[in-house]
Amino acid sequence: MNLFLHYLAMPYLLKGIGFTIAVTLLGLAGGLVVGLVLASMQLSRVGPLALFARGYTVIFRGTPLILQLVFAYDALPHIGLKLSAISAAGLALAANEGPFIAEILRAGVLGVDRGQLLAGQALGMTPTVLMRRIIAPQAIRMIVPALGNESVSALKNSSLASVIAVDELTLRSTQLASSTFDFFSIFFASGLMYLLLTGAIAAIQLIAEAALDLDRPASERFARLLPWRRASVAVSTPRASVASPSDALFEREPLPALRKHDKPQDRSRRYAELAKQRAAVQVTGLCKRYGGQTVLEGFDLTVRAGEVVALLGPSGSGKSTLLRCINHLEQWNGGEIRIDGQRLGFRVDGRPMTQHEIANERASAGVGMVFQHFNLFSHLTACENIAGPLRWVHGMAPADAERRARELLESVGLSHRADALPRHLSGGQQQRVAIARALAPRPRVLLLDEPTSALDPELVGEVLEVIQRLAIEGGLTMLISTHQLRFADEVADRVVFMSGGAVVEEGPAHEILTHPRHPLTMRFLSVMGADSRLPVAS
Amino acid sequence: MHTNLVDHGHGLRHAGAASRRWHELLLGAICLLALLISGHAKAAAAAMPAECKALQAKYPQFKGKSFVNAINPHTPGYEALDPNDPSKYVGFDIDLGETIGDCLGFTMTYRPVTFAALLTTLQSGQADIVISDIYATEERAKAADFITYSKVFDGVLVAKGNPKKITGINPTMCDTTAAENTGYVEVPLIQNLAPACKSASKQEAAVQLYDNNANCIQAILSGRADTYVNDVNTVDQAVKAYPDQLEKATAVTLPYSVGIGVPKDKPEFRAAVMAALVAIQKAGIQTDLLKKWSLGAENLETPKLIVSN
Repeated sequence: MNLFLHYLAMPYLLKGIGFTIAVTLLGLAGGLVVGLVLASMQLSRVGPLALFARGYTVIFRGTPLILQLVFAYDALPHIGLKLSAISAAGLALAANEGPFIAEILRAGVLGVDRGQLLAGQALGMTPTVLMRRIIAPQAIRMIVPALGNESVSALKNSSLASVIAVDELTLRSTQLASSTFDFFSIFFASGLMYLLLTGAIAAIQLIAEAALDLDRPASERFARLLPWRRASVAVSTPRASVASPSDALFEREPLPALRKHDKPQDRSRRYAELAKQRAAVQVTGLCKRYGGQTVLEGFDLTVRAGEVVALLGPSGSGKSTLLRCINHLEQWNGGEIRIDGQRLGFRVDGRPMTQHEIANERASAGVGMVFQHFNLFSHLTACENIAGPLRWVHGMAPADAERRARELLESVGLSHRADALPRHLSGGQQQRVAIARALAPRPRVLLLDEPTSALDPELVGEVLEVIQRLAIEGGLTMLISTHQLRFADEVADRVVFMSGGAVVEEGPAHEILTHPRHPLTMRFLSVMGADSRLPVAS
Repeated sequence: MHTNLVDHGHGLRHAGAASRRWHELLLGAICLLALLISGHAKAAAAAMPAECKALQAKYPQFKGKSFVNAINPHTPGYEALDPNDPSKYVGFDIDLGETIGDCLGFTMTYRPVTFAALLTTLQSGQADIVISDIYATEERAKAADFITYSKVFDGVLVAKGNPKKITGINPTMCDTTAAENTGYVEVPLIQNLAPACKSASKQEAAVQLYDNNANCIQAILSGRADTYVNDVNTVDQAVKAYPDQLEKATAVTLPYSVGIGVPKDKPEFRAAVMAALVAIQKAGIQTDLLKKWSLGAENLETPKLIVSN
C-alpha cells in the first residue's frame, strides 16, 4: 500500500500524464478535423468524394492503431517525413479517430428530423445557414454521449503510443516496473491515474449534456452563451401595436374580403374580381416522376393574387407534390412554374440554379409553406422559430425580429407560449406557431399542405380558425391541400379537385362542393362527406 | 539480447586475493561516489583516453552534436530507469554510450522502444545508434552494422526448485513453456529444439512472446511459463528481486557477441564509434564499467565489425 501511494505521488509518473493528455488531445482535435472532412465528403453525395471517404474509413478503421503508430513513426521517415514521437502518435491517433468521429457526426446530422430541413429550406435558408442554425445545434446535442465515449477510448488508446517511444504514462510505468520490479504497485498506481483521467472526461460529458439540455431554463449555466440559445432580446411589445391582427398579418391591396357567411352573390362578385387579378402562381405543363411512377402529368394551374384555392383529392393524387414543386422543394421533370411572373429554378441564362441560389430565390419569391407535421425547429422556442429565420435569412435586426415574432404569436393566440419549446406545445399550438413562422417574412403566397391531417380531432378547430382568419382578412394568396370539405367551402374561393396527377374538376368552391359534375369528384365528396368526424371551424 | 556473466561485485571480492581487497574497496567507493554525484557515466569521462582528442580532430563532424540512442530500458544493470530518479537511465550500456559520446565530443539522448523495434527505429532514422545489450547476429546485421563489445552468457530463469528440471536450451525444455521477448535470439534457438523433442516423442517447447523483460518474469511468477532464458545478469537480477519464487537453473554460453548498432549508410560514424570503443577498452574504462555494474570483466570482447551486404 505504501509503495502504491509512493508511485501514485511520484512526479515521474505524474509528468507522464501530461504526455498522455497531449497525445489524446492531438488525436481528438486532429480526429475531429479528419472526421468533419470525411463526414462532409460522405454527406456531399458527390460520388468520388464519398467513395474516397468510404475507402479511407475502411482502411483506417479496419487496421490496428498500433500498426498505424509504427507506420507514422518508422515508415514515414523513409519518404522524408520525420515526425517527433509525439507528433507521429498524434497523427496516427487522429487518422484512426477520424473515421469513428466521422460516423458519429454523420449519425448526428442524419438524426435531425428531415421535416425540419424541409421547413428550413422552405423558409429560404441556404445549405450553410441550415447546417449552422438547424442541423449543427441539434446534432451536437445528439453526439455528445458518443463523443464522450470516443474521447475515453482515445485516451486509453494513447497508451499504445508507448510502442513508439512517446514518454507517456504507460511507457513510464512499464520502464519503472522493469527497473524496480514493483510490477503491481506501479500498474495499480498508473491504472488509478487513467481512471481519474477517464473520470474527468465523463464529468465533462455530463456537464456538456446538462449545459445543452433544452429543458433547463436558458438562464442556467453557460447555455445562454451558446449561439443557438438566444437570450431574449429586451423588446417591449406595445400591446396597442398588435391590437389589430390585420395590421400585423396582412397588408395587401384591398379586395372584397371574404366573410364567413357571405351571401352567394357576394362570393360571385369576389370570384369575378379575383379573375381580374394578376397571376400569383402559374403552373404550366408540370410533370413530376418518382422513378417510374408519374405523379403529375402536364399539370396546369393558375392562382390569382389574393385567391384562396383548396386542393382536394384522394391520397396520392399529387397535391403535396404540387405544393412542394411550387416551393421548389422538389425538382420536376418538365413544365414550368412562375411566381409573380418569375420563372423558378433557373438563372437568367436558362441554366439550373444551385442549392444556394434556389434558397435565395425562395426567400425573395415570397412563398411560405405550412407542413402537415408542423416541422418546427425542435431546439428553438416558439418565438425563436419565427424570429430566427427572419434574422438569418432576411437579415432583420434581432429586436425587430423578436418584436415581429411576438406580434405573430399574439395574433395566433400563443403569446403566452412564446418561450416554450415545440415539444411542450400541443399539436394544434405547434401548427399555429408554424403558420406564424410561415407568415413572418410577409409572403405573397402561402402553401398549406394538409395542415390539420396530423392533428387530433379536438385540435383541428383551433388551426382551421387561424387559417380561416387569414382568408377572411384577405389579401394573401393561399393554396391549401385539405380533406376538410366544410372548411374548404368556408375559406376557399375556388376548389381544384385532383386525381392521378391531373385536374379533374375545378370551379367556385361552393358550386363544386355542392354540385360536382365529374363522377370522381362526386364519389370523393360523398365518401368524405359521410365522414362523421368532419370537423368544422366555428 | 543480453550478455554476461555471473553475479559479480560481491562474489569477486570474496573470491579475490586478499592483497587486492583494498583496491576493490577503493574502486567500489569511487564508483559509488560517482553514482551519487551524477548517477551517470561521468566517472568514466574523468579518465578520458588520450586518443579521444585525436579522434575528435579526425571526426569533427560529430563534435558538439546530439545523437539519439534507441534502447529497450527493461534490463536493470544494462539499461533501465534509475529507481531513485526515474528521469534518468542508468546501466552499463548507458555508461558505455556516454563514454563513447564524451570521447567523440557528442551527447546522447535516449529513445525507449520495445526490443523488436530497436533496429526499425534505427533504420527509420528516428535513432542514430543502438546500445541496448543487443546480440550482433548475421540476421540482424542485415538491418544495421554492429561493433561488438561484449561476450554473451545466458542464464536460465525458472521457478524456485526448478520443477521442470530444465538444464538449458536442450531437450529438457520439451513439454515446457518458455517466456521470451519478441525478437530475442533465444526464440529461434528454443524453436529449433522441435526435431529433438519430436524424436523423443515429446511436445516441442511452447514460446510465449512478451514485450519486455518484466513481463517475461511475471509470466514465470504467475505460472504461465516455466522458464525464461536471457542474459545471465538479467536473470540474476530477477532472482535477487524474487529470491523465494525464482532461481537460476544454469548458465548457457551462446555463440554471439553483444554489439553497438549503427546505420548501414554511415561508415564514418561507424569507424569513429569503433575507434572510440577501442581507445576506451585500451584505457581500461570498459573493464571499470563492467566492474561498476557487477558484470564481470571476462565479458569484455575486442571490438570487431559484423556487417552484412
